[in-house]
Amino acid sequence: MSSIQKKIWALAMVVLLIMASIWVSLIYYNQKMQDQYNEILERYLVMNEVTSTSQQMVTVLNNYLHTPISDNYEQIDQSKLEMEKLKEKVVDFKNADNELALTNYVNLIDSLMEAVNRSIMFHPESETENAIKTFKEATNISNYISEMTLTLIDTELKTYDRLYRGIINQSEEIKQLGIWLLLLISLLLLLFTYWFSLRITKPVEKLTQAASELSKGRFDRKVEVDSKDEIAFLAKAFDHMRVNINNLISEIHQKAQLEKELQQSKLLLRESQLRSLQNQINPHFLFNTLNTISKKAYLEGSEETSDLLVSVSDLLRYNLKHLDKSTTLFDEVEVLKQYIFIQKARFTDRLTFYTDIDESCLPVEIPGLTIQPIVENAVIHAVEPIEDGGTIWFRVKDGGDRVIIEVEDNGPGMTDDKRKQIMDGEVDTTKGQGSGIGLSNVVKRLRLFNGYEDVIMIESCLGKGTKVTINILKERGVEA
Amino acid sequence: MRKIATFVIAIICIILFYFTFETALKVFRADWQMPEESKQENTNNRLVLITRELDNPFWDKVSAGARKQAEEDGARLEIWGSYGNNQEDFLRQIEIAIYSKVDGIIVQGLDTEEFKELTKVKASSYGIPIITIANDVPMAESLRRTYVGSNQYLAGIMIARQLLTDMGTSGEVVLMLDSRQEHYQKQRLEGIRDILQDYPNVQIIESETEDTREQVIATTKDLLNKYPNVDAFIAVNANFSGDIIEEMDRRSNAEPYYIYSFDDYADAFSLLKKGKLDGIIEQSPLKMGELSVNLMMKWLNHELVPLDLHGYLTDIRLIKAMDIQ
Repeated sequence: MSSIQKKIWALAMVVLLIMASIWVSLIYYNQKMQDQYNEILERYLVMNEVTSTSQQMVTVLNNYLHTPISDNYEQIDQSKLEMEKLKEKVVDFKNADNELALTNYVNLIDSLMEAVNRSIMFHPESETENAIKTFKEATNISNYISEMTLTLIDTELKTYDRLYRGIINQSEEIKQLGIWLLLLISLLLLLFTYWFSLRITKPVEKLTQAASELSKGRFDRKVEVDSKDEIAFLAKAFDHMRVNINNLISEIHQKAQLEKELQQSKLLLRESQLRSLQNQINPHFLFNTLNTISKKAYLEGSEETSDLLVSVSDLLRYNLKHLDKSTTLFDEVEVLKQYIFIQKARFTDRLTFYTDIDESCLPVEIPGLTIQPIVENAVIHAVEPIEDGGTIWFRVKDGGDRVIIEVEDNGPGMTDDKRKQIMDGEVDTTKGQGSGIGLSNVVKRLRLFNGYEDVIMIESCLGKGTKVTINILKERGVEA
Repeated sequence: MRKIATFVIAIICIILFYFTFETALKVFRADWQMPEESKQENTNNRLVLITRELDNPFWDKVSAGARKQAEEDGARLEIWGSYGNNQEDFLRQIEIAIYSKVDGIIVQGLDTEEFKELTKVKASSYGIPIITIANDVPMAESLRRTYVGSNQYLAGIMIARQLLTDMGTSGEVVLMLDSRQEHYQKQRLEGIRDILQDYPNVQIIESETEDTREQVIATTKDLLNKYPNVDAFIAVNANFSGDIIEEMDRRSNAEPYYIYSFDDYADAFSLLKKGKLDGIIEQSPLKMGELSVNLMMKWLNHELVPLDLHGYLTDIRLIKAMDIQ
């Protein structure tokens, strides 16, 4: 049986028990009182009967004396029998207060019967005078019996006075008891019901509260219900569920994080691949052609043109090869040199390029095609649009645990908003000239590669120039 | 707030519990006081003391004595009787006692035919012994077993002697007699006469009257008119004394008269204290009660058979008004 049902049963039982006990005791008391009343009434009735029987006896005797037939005689016998029976009953009525009076009473009855007998005895012997005399005596005795009955009943009343008063008082007290009992039981039941309902509803309330907390998404609060019924079981199950959900959610969170990162790097990669594919259109043909043109130029004595073509060819090859792999700073710097060589050929004196490279830093790993796009950017914005040309500084410095790569130009610079947009990857910088890999792509890749946000910094001042700084950790993945 | 509510509820609970238990205890503890069960073996010696004057202090004392003795002797005594000298009722009580077959009747003697008929015929036919008390009826007429009480003859003598000492040997003395003279009154009268007849200078005026207030007053009036020089009154029936004194007081003053009476009158002692009565014969009612029951029990237990037919006399003494003032 479940325990809420048990509780309800217990309540019903308690109520039932109280009612039953009250009912039984009242019935018992009532019965007792009824018996008492009956007993007392019986006494009065019997005494009264004695009077009437004695009078009847005298009447019957009178009849017999006048008309001595057997019918009348039988009637006398009958009333004598009746009298005997009554006498026995009366004898039982004795108590300390009336025993003398009652003895007298019984003796009076005896005397009456004796007188009646004597009268009958005298009659057939024709002693009419005696018979009549005894008849008179019997009449007297019968009268005395009547009187004595009244006196006895009177004494009975006096004797039982205290009893009657007791009964009256007690019924009054019963009434009072009833009122007190009603009040007490009402109060107790109210209290009990209150306590009882609280025991059922409080856990439910707690559970409801917990449920609403959960529905609001707060999974960190423990569901506590300290009862011992189904609600507690429910609460435990609920709590268990809460913990599970909590775990699942955090798991999902982690997974989502991972997924997001993965997705991002995949996307970037795909973008780069796409670009490289675009550039791969028949690369061999392009390389061969470029080589042929280079050799032709060399043969025709145009060595400079030949070198340029070789640089372009190398640059293209590098672009196609190293886009999705990390490479060393050394390779990057080599490619940068090729690129600058080409651009020098284009801009001649307008482009001034200074390098300051700490050779010891060159073996550090770096994602492919990261530095060249930055320099390309500088060229596009700081050299190309300006008639007098511009200067670009490229520095590689040892910064302790990291390698600092700086690209600085003296171009027109950019606004703060723009700078922020670039840093947040919101500006599509792919449009335009150059090898086609946008700055934001570089920023994202660098971040993914290094695993922290501060990998690239852009300082810019309108009209003075822009400085891009890249921090590459020597030990990769330490902070990731 | 919650604490206060709990506290109040607890208090109410306690109060309700208290009152409920109180009343419940009252209800279930109160045993109805049933009359005590009778001890039937105790109804063997049922005695009845029957008098005509239940309202009289003299008879109260007799009853008290009898009751005390009955308790000692293990008899069950009932005191029956009539009030204010109601003879009819008195006789009926005797008859009922006889029909009730009591074991013994102690009765104030009544010198009438009906009484004698009852005691002689009915009581003896039912075999019930009768002892007369205080007032005697001669044995031959009542078949009583014995008499317990004062020697009325002697009482008469004592009164007469006191009269002579107070009044001297000459004067007029009125003897108030009951027109229906009972045995004990006759004896008193006899005693008085026997003394006074030796003094020729004492003139005896015997006056009979009926035992009713009006008659006594009328007779007193009559006597005082007829004999203005009367010196003394003796109420042979003690019940007359109150009415005599009242009538005298109405006229002038009862003080100058010598008035004597007996103590079987309710107001005798108070009149004596006031000095209206000059002397009364005090009998021993307590002793009478005791002795009568004692003798009856002895007779019933066959310890003393037969009883002295002349009677057992109890002490009497004369109290003068001067003695108790």
